[in-house]
Amino acid sequence: MYTTGKKVAGTAMAGFLAVGLAACGSSNNGNNGGDAAASPSGSASSAASASASAPASSAASGEKVTITFQNIYPDPTDPKYNMLHKIVKQYETDHPNVHIELDSLNTDQQKQKLKTQAASNEVPDITIVNPSAQMKPYVDAGLFAPLNEMVEKNGLKDTFQSGILDYYTFDGNLYALPDGNNIALLYYNKALFKQAGIDAPPTTFEDLVADVKKLKEKGIQPMAIGEKDTWTGSFLFMNMLLRTNGGPGFLKDVVDGKKTFEDPAFTGAVDAFEQLVQAGAFQEGATSFDYNAGENLFKTGKAAMYFMGSWATGGIEVSDANKDGNVGVFKFPTVGGKGDPNQFMLAPGSAFAVSKNSKHLPETLDFLNYFMLNYPKEAFAVKGAVGVAQKVDGDYKAAGYSDMAMEVLAMFKDVTGGDISFDNTMNPATSQAHLSSIQNLFVSKEDPAAVAKEHQQAYEDNKE
Amino acid sequence: MNVLKVSRWTIAAFVLPCLLLYVGLVFAPIIVSFYNATLNWNGIGVAKHVGLDNFHRMFTNDSVFWPSVRRTFMLAGFSMLVQLPLALFVAILISRFVRRPNFLVSSYFMPVILSVAVIGQLWKTIYNPASQGGMINQILIKLGLGSWTHAWLSEPKVAIYAIIVIGLWQYLGYHILIQFTGIQNIPADIYEAAKIDGAEGFKADRYITLPMIVPIFKISVVLSFIGSLQSFDLIMVTTAGGPAHATDVLASHMYNISILSQKYGYGSAIACFLVVVCLAATVVINLLFNRVEKRYD
Repeated sequence: MYTTGKKVAGTAMAGFLAVGLAACGSSNNGNNGGDAAASPSGSASSAASASASAPASSAASGEKVTITFQNIYPDPTDPKYNMLHKIVKQYETDHPNVHIELDSLNTDQQKQKLKTQAASNEVPDITIVNPSAQMKPYVDAGLFAPLNEMVEKNGLKDTFQSGILDYYTFDGNLYALPDGNNIALLYYNKALFKQAGIDAPPTTFEDLVADVKKLKEKGIQPMAIGEKDTWTGSFLFMNMLLRTNGGPGFLKDVVDGKKTFEDPAFTGAVDAFEQLVQAGAFQEGATSFDYNAGENLFKTGKAAMYFMGSWATGGIEVSDANKDGNVGVFKFPTVGGKGDPNQFMLAPGSAFAVSKNSKHLPETLDFLNYFMLNYPKEAFAVKGAVGVAQKVDGDYKAAGYSDMAMEVLAMFKDVTGGDISFDNTMNPATSQAHLSSIQNLFVSKEDPAAVAKEHQQAYEDNKE
Repeated sequence: MNVLKVSRWTIAAFVLPCLLLYVGLVFAPIIVSFYNATLNWNGIGVAKHVGLDNFHRMFTNDSVFWPSVRRTFMLAGFSMLVQLPLALFVAILISRFVRRPNFLVSSYFMPVILSVAVIGQLWKTIYNPASQGGMINQILIKLGLGSWTHAWLSEPKVAIYAIIVIGLWQYLGYHILIQFTGIQNIPADIYEAAKIDGAEGFKADRYITLPMIVPIFKISVVLSFIGSLQSFDLIMVTTAGGPAHATDVLASHMYNISILSQKYGYGSAIACFLVVVCLAATVVINLLFNRVEKRYD
């Protein structure tokens, strides 16, 4: 399934490049108009008239409007692809004068394209950004339009889970609306656990390490990870830090100058992480496994445990490993008796932001409002509602969601707080140093104090 | 100058489009890069002039930079010292002993046409640990050499060599083709004359093939050197520079810094270094070969 997706994405990419070039060309005019808003140029006056009239009346006037919607759902086998197309089509039928131009890229391509577009101030009408630290440079550069007013319309704001919008808010202005909100958890293969004589999933980190050893003795691969994509290891490490720190906020304390990386909470987490590596938890050659290859080990029943965000639920649900409801989930356990399993690594999802220089700002906002209002309903219908950032009404069980999905949904209700990932908190350069430092723990045993020092150094070197 | 019997204006008019393209697409970006290298800029927001700070930091205070320079030159070194002589040797053997060489040369050339992404995935499965079905490790175990097995692409000490092997394998056919063509172009009558004088077999190669192939060999050397300096895709597909920068080369380091760490200015400084090294290498190689060629003239 994945490879076909990649192929389609690949072939599609060529097309998108062409479309992208064309889009760049046309949005150029828009920018000129925006920059020279004071000048009596044609585009400036048309923008003014558009903003004066409500979107509904501009529909009546029949003015043709094209909105470019950059998104990360290029894969037709992904339920979100169909969802996106369905909502867009519905909106276009209701508003015959509006055409939504989809620029569908895969995640990495989109990130790079947006960076390039941002450098030349040519952000598409709607684009995708990641929360907090990752979107901050764009916000600082003044590229996005605030969504404060728009989100109040039609009660859209109340559909979001409480607190989730904070990750997209800067100086009181909301700049993006998230498509997801996930938590990190451990998936486990019940049959393999049984084979190793383990009755129940571990509730302490010490038990977890012991279980890893038991599995290893039976010749079963204890955990799978795709550490070529360095964030995977970091995500797991940060969960340990969340425990050893006795609660969330370690990185914030570092930024506020209350703690340094040489704090015992951090070295404790490094130590715990190394215990897991030394116990042989991860597959050989883990650092050359990319995300999908790592996940596939678990999905094909070749590994007993898998630590990942709840977004993986859908894929694991339909995998070989989950035949007859064979996959269970458990919360990341306490480490050294510290921490609360109900605090999770949180992953507020990628989010939709609107270009400040959009030629058709009112229409774009109206469309995004409509899109987000319909998003949870449509996601529920295609069984993609696990990890949606909005409240979803509906009977999951009756809609055919699996037991595992139900367990994950139940876990969401237990969340009492948590941290977001390292690269969503720290600036990119510090994050890169961190990611490669953690990757190094997979291949060589380091002194936790040295790892801490390396982090502190990188943080200070890159402080702004 | 007037051999072509056209006016200089005509020549200028015909050269111009190409020249403009070349200047616009090659020189202008290079100059812009040099300018960017003096900035502290994340690629999006406001840039700040920092003079030569980026270069200073690159040469004195970047723990990844010099090792990645070393690995870049390792790639080039292995390519020139192992791959090219081997390619020349194979080319000589093919032209001497194979009646219909086209099929053989084409087969050697195959990997060059394959996309690097495909090659990377292919070799990843070959290099996999035995428990994941990796071919090399399984063969080693079957041969009773279990202690020789490695996680080839994820052990910091061996990973770069594993990647070098892939590179050597992929472009061997390319250089065989170039040099084979070169050998084919040496007039047969020279060999015949030499035969009368008693130079046959490898003696003929030593005194005829080698001197006559020098200009072609130079192309191979330049191509392989520049290619090695710019190697990027293969590394991205196989290890992405990991584990922990153990396989980073200049190009991948530049990518990490400018795209992932969002230090666009600093990344440009690394790019400038790469440009300068490429230019210097091309000049040096040309000088060396000019001297060699003169000797045989």
